[in-house]
Amino acid sequence: MMKRTHKYFPILPVLVAYGALLGYGLFFPGKWQLVSQLAFYCTLGQAFNLFMGMTGYVDFGYVAFMGVGTYGMAISIYHLNEKGLGLSIILIGLSLAVAFSIILSLAVGAVALRLRGAYFAIATIGVNEGFRFLIEGARIWNGSEGIIFTRHMKKAFGKPAAMAIGTFWADIMMFGVAVLAAVLTLVYMRNKVGYALTALREDEDAAKVMGINVTKYKIIAFITSAALAGLLGATAWALKLQYVYPTDVFEIHYTVEAIIIVLLGGAGTLLGPIVGGLIYGISKYYLSIVLPGFQLLIFAPLIVAIIVLFPEGTVGILKKKVINTPLQKFII
Amino acid sequence: MPLLVCKNVTKRFGGLVAVDDMSFTVKHGEMMAIVGPNGAGKTTMFNLINGVFPADEGTIHFEGVDVTGFPAFKRAHLGMGRTFQIPRPFSSATVQENIAIGAMFGSAGSEISVDEAMDVADHYIGLIGLSGHRDKPAGGLTPIEKKLVEIARALAMKPKLLLMDEAMAGMNPRDIDEMVAFIKKIRETEGIAIVAMVEHIMRAVAGLAERVIVMHQGALLVDEPTKEALTDPRVIEVYLGQPAEEFDA
Repeated sequence: MMKRTHKYFPILPVLVAYGALLGYGLFFPGKWQLVSQLAFYCTLGQAFNLFMGMTGYVDFGYVAFMGVGTYGMAISIYHLNEKGLGLSIILIGLSLAVAFSIILSLAVGAVALRLRGAYFAIATIGVNEGFRFLIEGARIWNGSEGIIFTRHMKKAFGKPAAMAIGTFWADIMMFGVAVLAAVLTLVYMRNKVGYALTALREDEDAAKVMGINVTKYKIIAFITSAALAGLLGATAWALKLQYVYPTDVFEIHYTVEAIIIVLLGGAGTLLGPIVGGLIYGISKYYLSIVLPGFQLLIFAPLIVAIIVLFPEGTVGILKKKVINTPLQKFII
Repeated sequence: MPLLVCKNVTKRFGGLVAVDDMSFTVKHGEMMAIVGPNGAGKTTMFNLINGVFPADEGTIHFEGVDVTGFPAFKRAHLGMGRTFQIPRPFSSATVQENIAIGAMFGSAGSEISVDEAMDVADHYIGLIGLSGHRDKPAGGLTPIEKKLVEIARALAMKPKLLLMDEAMAGMNPRDIDEMVAFIKKIRETEGIAIVAMVEHIMRAVAGLAERVIVMHQGALLVDEPTKEALTDPRVIEVYLGQPAEEFDA
């Protein structure tokens, strides 16, 4: 009974980790690009984990949600820059990003979430490819020419502000998305949603018999995770790069990275995506310096080994180690 | 009004008729056993009652509500609990969380908070005598402990009808007697109807049930009070075959 007041303590290490990463970047401006890259991987993992980690379903089309989110922000700035709306264009862009990713997740989820396990994974592989071809083929949103909106950013916010958004504020907003994803994960974990997801991840048929409307909870996790991906695309890609090409954003490579990060850190844990994102991001960064061009060759077997030897991921193992210690209430 | 009414329930898997025109009722608070040899259709009948898959023909009423087309989770909300032959606890969740999940989503689900569900779980952990394992992941328990957790999880749903699938398979006689005593106890304290499925442990059937339904090749063979059912020549024939002299005739 008494320890229930401590339910939300695990958010503390999350905030400390992101605070430390941000502080490091602010203190060593030369490392800001690295910090931004690491924060991207952590956020990607955090958002992806909310669905994959909590339900056990692997969505190979996940990057499509980031893609439509990127377009949401791009369209907002591209079309509204002369209306004198100032920074509220960004808010409109974020809302549009969330709206696009939710609509897409409902469309995908309505079909694919009826399938189980591997069938779901296979069904979703086509999503981002299909969406890319749709945009290119039907010439939606400028088709394969993409949207370049650097000029529009400058028109909307002025040149210095547009620069500052691209080099700094987009990253800060990305940190915001990371914290939002972590908070939502913890809130879900501590409420019925989380228990329903645990149950259906472990045994979907038994969960149904226990009175759990598994479809409802899978959709809740799917939509939340998709909306966070939309926000990540809108900040880390749209605002930072200020252009969007379908071939860049609908790239399955990012989904694979998300899967690796979640598994490295520990699927279904709160801290896992941060640990996984940092391990993945740092090793990728240094491997590309030490052995440029060979990083994937080295990384692939390393990842296979880690996943075979430590299927619970770093935080999964850590969690077991801290049982019955004061750290227990902080690490989940 | 009876608790459960199954009328002409039939289920086919391709050409195989797994459950063939079964009709029976279960009264409130009744203790009943469904027995039958391997392949008689008992598990399929259970799956039809609690909605794991739909019946091809016939109707199922629960407390007067036609639940024939209801999915499993809705039937659980109305008050059907279920345990499985091979226990299926949620392995990564703790014992307490497992049982709390039953309380959260069962028949009282919509009104109960997570914290209240944890209290309900603690009550049932005490009942099954596993207080020492409360915070351990359920995946690490022994098979019998898992079975107990599953029963507690089903009870935490506050069911009106508990379907127990082979609760005693693979147990030695002493464990069976203990389990029979335990099931009798929970039936009294919870005041619920229990339908237990038993393949061949007649020791358990005799000790447990007031009424027995015997299934054979998917169909209802006998529906009688326990004593009559266990001495019924048709039942003996199903289990042991015909006496040798009848073959000569």
